[in-house]
Amino acid sequence: MQADPPYFFADYGSTHLRAPREAPLAVPAALLDVPGPLVPPGLVGTGDNDLTTHGKSAPLGERMILAGRLLDADGRPVRRSLVEIWQTNAAGRYDHPGDTHDAPLDPNFRGIGRTLTDDEGRYRFVTIKPGAYPWRNHAYAWRPQHIHFSLLGNAPVQRLVTQMYFPGDPLLDLDPVFLSIPDPAARARLVATFEPRAGIEGLALGYRFDIVLAGARSTPLER
Amino acid sequence: MAERTPSQTVGPFFHEALRWAEGGRLAPDAPGPRAALAGRIRDGSGAPVADAMVEAWHAGARALGRVETGADGGFRFEFPLPPGPLAALDIAIFARGLLKAVRTRVYLAQESVVRTDPLLAPLQSSPRLKTLVATPRSSNEFEWDVRLQGEGETVFFAP
Repeated sequence: MQADPPYFFADYGSTHLRAPREAPLAVPAALLDVPGPLVPPGLVGTGDNDLTTHGKSAPLGERMILAGRLLDADGRPVRRSLVEIWQTNAAGRYDHPGDTHDAPLDPNFRGIGRTLTDDEGRYRFVTIKPGAYPWRNHAYAWRPQHIHFSLLGNAPVQRLVTQMYFPGDPLLDLDPVFLSIPDPAARARLVATFEPRAGIEGLALGYRFDIVLAGARSTPLER
Repeated sequence: MAERTPSQTVGPFFHEALRWAEGGRLAPDAPGPRAALAGRIRDGSGAPVADAMVEAWHAGARALGRVETGADGGFRFEFPLPPGPLAALDIAIFARGLLKAVRTRVYLAQESVVRTDPLLAPLQSSPRLKTLVATPRSSNEFEWDVRLQGEGETVFFAP
């Protein structure tokens, strides 16, 4: 549990009124280490893992392949498990009514993807590199380029929502959301690895991002 | 042991990405009586948390519900009434400003019975235990408010 940030982090203003102040009640992890929810049929459609084909033509931006493995605490694959992602377009704008950042929408990019891991816990998305964007947390604040991930896992204890970052981004050293993770080694696990050969020659950059969930319940091999 | 990936906030822009097929209706085809749980989420100032995602886990039905809060911080789930005297749903709340989800459990049962749950033994004589007990509005309608911080702060779990 040391990997996670605390609830209250002074430099991230939105925690001030939302972070619980009372100590949590310790409950056995076994309570939620039970077979988890089934993914509703039809939630993941063919092509939902290619965010570059959701418009009439290709979206603006650097096309990239984002692939990795979903593992449990014992390093075993989390199989046939739901991975959901969302991100800004190449200009740093979310296709969301709440985003008022003065950057253009891209009619060919919604920034939403879903997929299921395979029997080795692997997932793969085709997308574009998101943009950085300003936010009002502090003076000159910009969020580093990131992709949001939601992992359902195969047991409720494995449920995780996180963000993936890009190597070498100078905004990381200034970002309170990233810096809220106390252990620099744990922070580094949110930074994808640049792997040119995981991309597509002449077409797409390649990044790898492996994810390790809590708990050690890998999916039984049921069909 | 593999090193766990840390949590980050869900942020304010998750709505379309995390649309759940059946929203707040859990196991709509399950047989037997159904119940509903509605409530509001408030922050440390008492203001509604209008941009949260709430998930309810129904262990008996092996079903998940996922909804977003409205402008009033409100949410609602509808589900098979869990059997037994300690009927409960496990709740996880994600939001901007929550660097990791808060988890808790809401009991659809009488407070005197909830106090017998061994899971809550450390709270047995605490007035805070009440924050985990829903108020019945009818035989199958329950109300339960969440306070993230401050007066009446809900008891959250650390699994």
